[in-house]
Amino acid sequence: MSHRSLFFAASVFGLMVLQTPAQADVDPETLVEPIAEYKLYVLDNLDQFVSHTEKFTQAIEAGDLERAQALYAPTRVYYERIEPIAELFADLDASIDAREDDYENGVEDPDFTGFHRLEYGLFKEQTTQGFTPYAKQLMTDVNDLESRVQDLTFPPAQVVGGAAALMEEVAATKVSGEEDRYSHTDLWDFQGNVDGSQKIFELFKPLVAEEDPAFVDRVEKNFAAVEDTLAHYRHETNNPEAGFVSYEKVSETDRRAFVGPVTVLAEDLATLRGKLGL
Amino acid sequence: MSDLSDNTPRCPFTLDRRRFLQGLGAAGAAAGLGGSAWAESRTDATSSHDVTGAPVSTTTQQSHPFHGRHQQGILTPRPATGMVVVCDVLARDRAGLERLLRILTERIAFLTQGGTYPKRDPSYPPADSGILGPTIAPDALTVTVSLGASVFDERFGLADAKPKHLQRMTGFPNDALEPTRCHGDLSLQICANTHDTTIHALRDIIKQTPGLLMVRWKQEGTVPVMPPSPDTPTPSARNYLGFRDGTANPNTDDDALMDSLIWTGDDPDEPNWARGGSYQVVRIIRNFVERWDRAQLAEQEAIFGRRKESGAPLSGGSEYDKPNYNDDADGKITPLDAHIRLANPRTPGFEKHRILRRPFNYSNGVEANGQLDMGLLFIVYQADLEAGFITVQKRLNGEPLEEYIKPVGGGYFFTLPGAIDEHDFLGRTLLEATETDV
Ligand code: HEM
Repeated sequence: MSHRSLFFAASVFGLMVLQTPAQADVDPETLVEPIAEYKLYVLDNLDQFVSHTEKFTQAIEAGDLERAQALYAPTRVYYERIEPIAELFADLDASIDAREDDYENGVEDPDFTGFHRLEYGLFKEQTTQGFTPYAKQLMTDVNDLESRVQDLTFPPAQVVGGAAALMEEVAATKVSGEEDRYSHTDLWDFQGNVDGSQKIFELFKPLVAEEDPAFVDRVEKNFAAVEDTLAHYRHETNNPEAGFVSYEKVSETDRRAFVGPVTVLAEDLATLRGKLGL
Repeated sequence: MSDLSDNTPRCPFTLDRRRFLQGLGAAGAAAGLGGSAWAESRTDATSSHDVTGAPVSTTTQQSHPFHGRHQQGILTPRPATGMVVVCDVLARDRAGLERLLRILTERIAFLTQGGTYPKRDPSYPPADSGILGPTIAPDALTVTVSLGASVFDERFGLADAKPKHLQRMTGFPNDALEPTRCHGDLSLQICANTHDTTIHALRDIIKQTPGLLMVRWKQEGTVPVMPPSPDTPTPSARNYLGFRDGTANPNTDDDALMDSLIWTGDDPDEPNWARGGSYQVVRIIRNFVERWDRAQLAEQEAIFGRRKESGAPLSGGSEYDKPNYNDDADGKITPLDAHIRLANPRTPGFEKHRILRRPFNYSNGVEANGQLDMGLLFIVYQADLEAGFITVQKRLNGEPLEEYIKPVGGGYFFTLPGAIDEHDFLGRTLLEATETDV
């Protein structure tokens, strides 16, 4: 690398990518506890995911459009939080969370199922008519996911890498508003991804805090910056459960304000595996 | 001015001879033009069976100095590829902006001179994209940093230091500007002998500036590579309308001329810090090439006021001869609305409206109607935006060429003065000029 580095001040967005990272010096034993705790977190969220999906799909089967619309985003949140684990089951991930862009024939594609197929019906076509089969399929898939995760041994690299993977999700599909293009509930998913990432970071933070306090400080400040902007768009500032305004209402400036901290979080958290010797 | 190892500034890109001739031979034969000149020099390129052997270039070690009064990439001979990447600045305060400018300076100094990236513990992401390997060659890379008018808003306290003519580009009558391809806080003009070198530089810069820069739009382009020519000056390369482009540019070897036409400095109304900078105009100008290719040759030549094959003015002579409008007041030879005659009527006093054009051809994809989406990535530099591009474009409004072109994007920027030495950084004078004692 250039020896000409003039100066690198660490501030909120500061990122010293040029520094040579310290060799990881983490005892693998110390990973056991945070991994176990993370599994509890995931199972907890899955539990909630199952019960919310039950209510959501029941509303569709009962033809209650308004209720189904209202439950769409609050149900997905649980999935968005645990995506690093959920995605390990590619078949289920595709049938639960694929987007129309994943299919050459888009919405018309017979393989297109899951949340976003339902989103299209509920928000674009404004109907529950004919969606019962998709609802039933979703419920089956979600139950299947829960039982598969229960039996899963969590791979540490996957878990730790998940913190960055979730921020990549945000950077790639949430900031642009393309994830929930009909319901415009992107901020819910956004919050879900951020929560999931932050949880992983919090669990492993004690293992890196001593060695790299500047890193920890920067990550926390950037999470806080994202949280600030999110809070601004909540129906109730301090209550994520109360939900968010439509992503269409998010100003261009704020969309941009997300990109800064989100990108730095993605870069920073991408080094977490290295810091833990994974 | 530059460390170019070979001395053919108008054609700094020399491919491996065998492959080079292969391309020419194939083109000539395919078009049924395999005349004797080609036949003599053509060599058999199929003798090697190394299907995926890397194409070879002998110019990867060319480098242009980074430090100096002016930035590189303006008077630097235009290489075969270039792109403009326009970003928004995400930094929220002056400290962040300064950090961005320092990082850019440091990265450009490294990238344009070449060097080796450090090896990392494999459990970390690598230090760079690696697309050119661990050691990068300069490959005549230049990166030129310019600022848009929006940077001079309330965010960074720069409002009082805005260059006098810097403004948000406004549409001209023939424009169909697409908002997603217009304006922006900061432009990077990245040029090199090969496309991958520019891409590598861009990815390095993006990786090193998270949270500081966000790409808004980008346009890549090329210049056709020509065989070394015995003629001097070398004939100009052609644009996608098939005409030689660059012929009548002001002479870049004339320092006094450059000081008056290209470098901002003498105007007492310009802020002091801007000395040595230049106004950069970028325009993405779509060419309707299918339609153009169906137009009469005579019409094409009348539209530009030059011969297509040679680039000579319609008034006679060869490419670099001056067009003669004096004996042609009615435009019988060179139509009064010919592109070059409108762009520069060569009347007394018009000298101050001359601009330095440094464009690239671009080719993006296909329109819904099946027509090719290609055109000119038009880049110009001038000491005074108003006297330069804006005046000339106003004169060109309504020109016959408009039937075949459509500007769809671009922006106005101010190219920062150069970084003098290793202790300097791009934009330092601007930040110093706007410092407030707190
Ligand atoms: C797709 C768009 C354009 C094409 C294909 C084009 C092409 C050409 C060509 C073939 C020439 C003659 C050779 C030369 O001197 O370089 C020329 C000259 C010139 N063009 Fe353009 N041009 C385009 C747009 C523009 C625009 C937007 C401007 C400025 C507003 C401009 C300004 C000039 C000037 C100043 C000259 C030199 C005239 C002289 O001094 O004789 N051109 N252009």
